[in-house]
Amino acid sequence: MSAPAPPRPPRAARLAPVRRRLAPVRRRLAAAPRPLGRTLVITATVFVLASLLTFSLGALSDANPAAAVLGDQATPADIARMERQFGLDQPLYAQYLSWLGRALTGDLGVSWFTGVPVADSVAQALPVDLSIAGLALLLAIVLGGGTGIVAALNDGGRIDRAVTLVCSVLSTLPPFLIGIVLIVVFAVQLGALPTGGYVPFGESPGQWLRYAVLPAFALSLDAAASMARQLRTSLVGALRENYVTGARMRGFSARRVLFGHVLRNAAGPALSVLGVSVPVILGGAVVTEKIFNLPGIAQLSLQSAEQHDIPVIQGTLLVTVAVVLVANIGVNAALGALNPAARRQPSGGGRGGDGGPA
Amino acid sequence: MSRPDDPVLTVDGLDVTVPGGAHAVRGVSFTLGRGESVGLVGESGSGKSLTCRSVLGVLPTGCAVSGGRITLGAGATDSAAELTSFTRKQWDAVRGRRVGAVFQDPASYLNPSLTVGRQLVEQLRVGRGLGRAEAHARSVELFTAVGLHRPEEVFHQYPHELSGGMLQRVLIAIAVSCAPELLIADEATTALDVVIQAEILELLQRLRAEQGLALLLVTHDLAVVAESCDRVIVMYAGEIVEDGPTAEVLAAPAHPYTEALLRVASIGEWGRRTLDIIPGRPPRTGAELPGCRFADRCAHTVARCREAPVAPYPLDSGHRARCLRPAGLLGASPGPVTAPAAAPVPRGATA
Amino acid sequence: MRTLRRTWRLRPARIALAVLAVIALLAVAGGALAPHDPLGQHPGDMLRGPSGAHPLGTDYLGRDVLSRLLAGTGSSIAGALEAVGVAMLLGIVPGIASVWLGRTVEWTAQRAADTLMIMPFTIFAIAVVGALGNGLHQAMIALGVLFAPLYFRVTRAAALGLAQAQYVEAAELMGASRWWILRTHVWGKILPTVAVTTAQAVGQALLVVASLTFLGLGVQPPAPTWGGMLASDLGYLAQQPWAPLVPGAAIMITVGALNVLADAVRDSGAAAGDLRETGAAPPPVPVAPPNGPAADSTGPRAGSDDARVPDRDSHARTGAATGTASSQEVEQRVTTG
Repeated sequence: MSAPAPPRPPRAARLAPVRRRLAPVRRRLAAAPRPLGRTLVITATVFVLASLLTFSLGALSDANPAAAVLGDQATPADIARMERQFGLDQPLYAQYLSWLGRALTGDLGVSWFTGVPVADSVAQALPVDLSIAGLALLLAIVLGGGTGIVAALNDGGRIDRAVTLVCSVLSTLPPFLIGIVLIVVFAVQLGALPTGGYVPFGESPGQWLRYAVLPAFALSLDAAASMARQLRTSLVGALRENYVTGARMRGFSARRVLFGHVLRNAAGPALSVLGVSVPVILGGAVVTEKIFNLPGIAQLSLQSAEQHDIPVIQGTLLVTVAVVLVANIGVNAALGALNPAARRQPSGGGRGGDGGPA
Repeated sequence: MSRPDDPVLTVDGLDVTVPGGAHAVRGVSFTLGRGESVGLVGESGSGKSLTCRSVLGVLPTGCAVSGGRITLGAGATDSAAELTSFTRKQWDAVRGRRVGAVFQDPASYLNPSLTVGRQLVEQLRVGRGLGRAEAHARSVELFTAVGLHRPEEVFHQYPHELSGGMLQRVLIAIAVSCAPELLIADEATTALDVVIQAEILELLQRLRAEQGLALLLVTHDLAVVAESCDRVIVMYAGEIVEDGPTAEVLAAPAHPYTEALLRVASIGEWGRRTLDIIPGRPPRTGAELPGCRFADRCAHTVARCREAPVAPYPLDSGHRARCLRPAGLLGASPGPVTAPAAAPVPRGATA
Repeated sequence: MRTLRRTWRLRPARIALAVLAVIALLAVAGGALAPHDPLGQHPGDMLRGPSGAHPLGTDYLGRDVLSRLLAGTGSSIAGALEAVGVAMLLGIVPGIASVWLGRTVEWTAQRAADTLMIMPFTIFAIAVVGALGNGLHQAMIALGVLFAPLYFRVTRAAALGLAQAQYVEAAELMGASRWWILRTHVWGKILPTVAVTTAQAVGQALLVVASLTFLGLGVQPPAPTWGGMLASDLGYLAQQPWAPLVPGAAIMITVGALNVLADAVRDSGAAAGDLRETGAAPPPVPVAPPNGPAADSTGPRAGSDDARVPDRDSHARTGAATGTASSQEVEQRVTTG
């Protein structure tokens, strides 16, 4: 189990019982939810790995600030000077540690080109994506949750099949195509909404909504479809459970049974799907930004990619990762709140103590 | 014991169809008086569970009440309710408040992600309109009343943290929390071991005495009935084959099927599959047979048994049996039944 | 291979394969079949509707849309295949190895998979292209890296189930070498799973490739790609609102056929586990509801502890595959298991 070398038979023989004994323990660990501490350890590990990956992109790149800024006119002296200026003459591990250390305090370095602090550029662009993605997430919950519930209650019926069909079709479409179609219908044909542009939420929430609703809707559909399908499946399963019969038998109204009992148990997997959708939505936001011409992260990262502006590229990616991680912690917290029972370790052999054979 | 004058539940000519339209319950009629305890006995597939689920209005999907009446309360009073025509809303006003139910496998009937206390509180708040604090206090009382030790602690536990016996007590507490007239226990003690089973039965008897509950005890185990029921109803293949006061039925079973069940029960090992010992198998669910439905497995079958439906024949003091032999219609004396010698009948044999 | 034979017997699978065969043909010979030069600009014929000479009309530079569509098939498909190939290489081997190489390797590999899984496709691809140069290979390798956890999780789940299966343990007890066990027992079981995953992954990769080429990543604009065509159509929606439907339909048909195929392979059995689970969130704590204490007391089948975790968040990035009964059944098993 531990050594990579192929075990000789006697060793395997010795290990097999150990493994068997371990299995139930590991199973129980897996069944129990991860406590907060473990979640944080994993999140931190993932963040460090992600930062390493992000940093290594820069290290693997042959771009250097002098060549990027001065082009062909860069002399070896220029290159050396600028590398020293940006700390690129130091060993990689030192560069990484200082970069990560400064990143953790909110300093992502400065752009090779403009000298503008990366953190400032990101801070300017990020709210656009966050507000659009946030609205998209909200729409996904409302749309996906609603259709999922309706489909489950209509199990096998016409609405259910229609929902399944629409979800299947949505999954074969590139999400940005939906955005284009929405522009054609609502902006070009109906003229009801602007084809693109952005007004910050703080400036005018009404205007913000007018500009944000189409991109957010386009972004939300994919996540909504996944969520609807997952929710439908878990709900159909949960509705067959005995405790649902039990709740009905206690004279609880249909609404109370659905929202107070069934949804609580069925929402978990759908919520996990939502958690997984966060990076998808953020990634999709980039394409959506281009379609709707929004001044967000995409503009920033596309522009920096064109210019090989490594600090901006790294900063943007790292911040995006951080946003996804924060969202995931939120999803986990929600899962825990939804299902407090799971927070406790099952009390081992408690059940069946006097329960006799089932 | 004579027919009660104050019926809590009257089932009259109940027919239940299963998916495919077969009649799984046919013409079942019985009455439950206030505070009466009745055992509904039969093997799995006899229709006893469908019968009690009809009373609760929670038939499995595809099953439906296709005939008959189920009345809660005395026939002419205001509180009388014809359940078979109920809407979901009307059901909600009856379930939990006037009829309570407990089942086999109590764990699965509780929401796994809510504490048991919270589930009882919910019932009290919905069913009796209690406030939060009141409901909490009452819950602890109820948990104490059903014999749970350290009720405050149990209150905050999740179903998976409790044993089967404790869960059944919780379920009973929930079922009786709104002082129903009728408590249906569907195989409620089957999965429990002998000691716990006896305790639960005792608890049910106590609640019955204290609260004037009528008790419908659905079980496949005549021993349970012998201990705790005033009357017993024996079902076979969808029909009531015999009913009457427990003491009489058990002392002198008039139907060969009851007799066989009794023999099996008295052998002693309860967990054993009851019907391994009665040769043959029950007819296919809903099979249409011209005559007695037990004829294929009965040691005393004669040609007449298979010719026409056998009506329930009244014996003495409310004791009835659906058999020609004790009715004296076969000419033979209804002496004790000897071991059935019928050869095993091919499965699903129909007319 | 029994699975594949069984798959062939399913009608939807045959239709899907036929569609894919046509697309493969176009991918190989598309450029040659094109009636016009896909790059040839005809300023006189800009933004024309469908006609005899131009069955699908012309774009804003007067280029023949049909020719561009045909010529773009190759690079679009090749890109997706390259990405999936990279993902297979990077995912399958660690997926199997992680089961047998001890807890440390296991844990690290899982965290690495988590890390890749939280990377938004497009932003990561932009970063890679920005750092390493704008080429199809850079973009597709980036994509492949991000797709690798899909294979990692799927093969890992399958291998885990097998690692504790009795016959494998028996073989181990009899002194069979790990490599031998891997070859005879594990590989045969994992293969159908990999087949399903691949069908889905190619579909998903195609969608992402379309997104990337839409952004101008990987393939530089004059060269035709499906995503690039969409990008150029975007500027002329007022004149030609239907134009995006042409490349859109091409993507949709291809992805749809792949999804149908994936479901068909899964239907014909053997594919263990839900394949749409690329997904666990970084701390993959899908605290699925305990479906009754029974779940605790009986427990999952031996060895499914880890397998269960990815299973639970059945949907993933590759999430919304087609909604046939089969995939829903899988989900259901997953959620009630």
